[in-house]
Amino acid sequence: MKLAFIAPRFPEDGVVGGAETLLRNLADYAADQGCEVDFLTTCAKNHHTWANEIPSGQRSVGGLTVHHFPVNEDRDLVLFAALQDRVSKRQNLTRDDQVRWLKNSVNSRALEEHLQITPYDAVVAGPYLFGMIWSAMSIKPERNWLVPCLHDECFAYQEVIGDMFREVHGILFNAEPEKQLAECLYGLSNKGDVVGMGLEPFKSDPEAFDVPRPYLLYSGRREPLKGTPMLLDYVNAFRRRTDKDLHLVLTGSGDFEVPEGLEDCITDAGFVSEEDKHNLMAGAVAFIHPSVNESFGIVLLESFLAGTPGLVHARSEVLKYQCEQSGAGLWFRSYPEFEAMLLRLIDDGALYKRLSMNGQRYVTETYSWSAVGRRFFDALEG
Amino acid sequence: MNEANFEINAPKIDTSQIVADIQAEVSRKMEEGVYADARVATAERHNLANMSDSEELLKFYLNCLRETVQVDISDWEIRDRRGGAAGSLLVKFKTAMWKLLKFYTYRLWSQQNQVNGLLHTAVESSFKNYERRIVELEKRIEELEQR
Repeated sequence: MKLAFIAPRFPEDGVVGGAETLLRNLADYAADQGCEVDFLTTCAKNHHTWANEIPSGQRSVGGLTVHHFPVNEDRDLVLFAALQDRVSKRQNLTRDDQVRWLKNSVNSRALEEHLQITPYDAVVAGPYLFGMIWSAMSIKPERNWLVPCLHDECFAYQEVIGDMFREVHGILFNAEPEKQLAECLYGLSNKGDVVGMGLEPFKSDPEAFDVPRPYLLYSGRREPLKGTPMLLDYVNAFRRRTDKDLHLVLTGSGDFEVPEGLEDCITDAGFVSEEDKHNLMAGAVAFIHPSVNESFGIVLLESFLAGTPGLVHARSEVLKYQCEQSGAGLWFRSYPEFEAMLLRLIDDGALYKRLSMNGQRYVTETYSWSAVGRRFFDALEG
Repeated sequence: MNEANFEINAPKIDTSQIVADIQAEVSRKMEEGVYADARVATAERHNLANMSDSEELLKFYLNCLRETVQVDISDWEIRDRRGGAAGSLLVKFKTAMWKLLKFYTYRLWSQQNQVNGLLHTAVESSFKNYERRIVELEKRIEELEQR
């Protein structure tokens, strides 16, 4: 079976992104299973500039043949920014403007030409909101599977995006609520399969770091869209209102403003190795995920695997679903609920232990590579 | 796809029930005013958009807002952590500065407090009015349905 995976960037050497990582892992798995796998991506490393920093051409990475194609340099960035601004403000765009918006987003004509002439059995691409994915999915749609990583956000409401969901052969969702959202937005009738991403079991040492206990851990981008400012305010209020000496550890990238008085209670670990991240997860009283825009909580599942319960925002349907299904996490709607739940996790050792065991079992059974791989190939062959 | 994989839940624990119990306890405490606290209102400033479609939580937020809406313009004890002669001099300097600033800012902040208070009252009255009208409408619908 000859497969192509497409993502805007190839995740390696500090280039990270949830969707790209997910696609790379699926591609690696397919290659391990004996498929001939091409990974088609751009020459860009920076997701703000999209400058062509990597030489175009192909190279081997593990079992994959990675093809780097240049991003079109003649795109109209002024027009793109203006249209993107209107989309972000949820203003109505004509169909022509929607097409102009996507065509002036990140695109690669060289990649499109490659897809036109190369006979793949299946092409798997994502996430949904990039022009290059939209263009790629319109080429021979009968062989295309979309990995949308869909959120309830302004981009998802564009008609042309809905057309893409309806026209591709199949859709690989990460979680059931994501599939339900797509059905609701685009009127799909049970189209697509829930696949997700496999996680390898790992050993972790909760005592590896000398961080004051108890501590909450957050891993990911630190930005308002991910709920980081709210998290800092919540931790600040929690410390002031309760007698608990709670600390907060953050890993990942992005600047954030520390509220006054919280300077000594926050550890900014920045980028850490996978091993360090897992050790930090294992020592935390809970893994906190305050974002309401997630299509798949990889770090939440990793924390379950490390034996740490999750504490997530109830407005994130996917994270709440994962906590509910696993029986390994709690979900809050407001500060008072956050405070009450965190106090339970700190004070109720028996509950903590049960949540911890549930999480490890859930991820091992549902997100092992054998389970995910079976769902992936069933979807492609079904 | 094996659907059974997505139905896993530990038999001895029901997180939905735990969450529901905690939510009920929190609601009870909200009624008692446990969370009517300026610190809670400040903590919720980034969560307002997520709370906006929940009537119960919005009511709670308005209660919290009542606690935090007034800017504190009262005098406070001016101290300096250094102590000694330098500390004492600094305290005198800061006290003098505060007297000058207070003269200048008192009018500004008291007007701001008036505006904050009026805005809060307007939002709260509007919320209560709509709440009352919805209750009345629901009652009318119920009566009409029973005919």
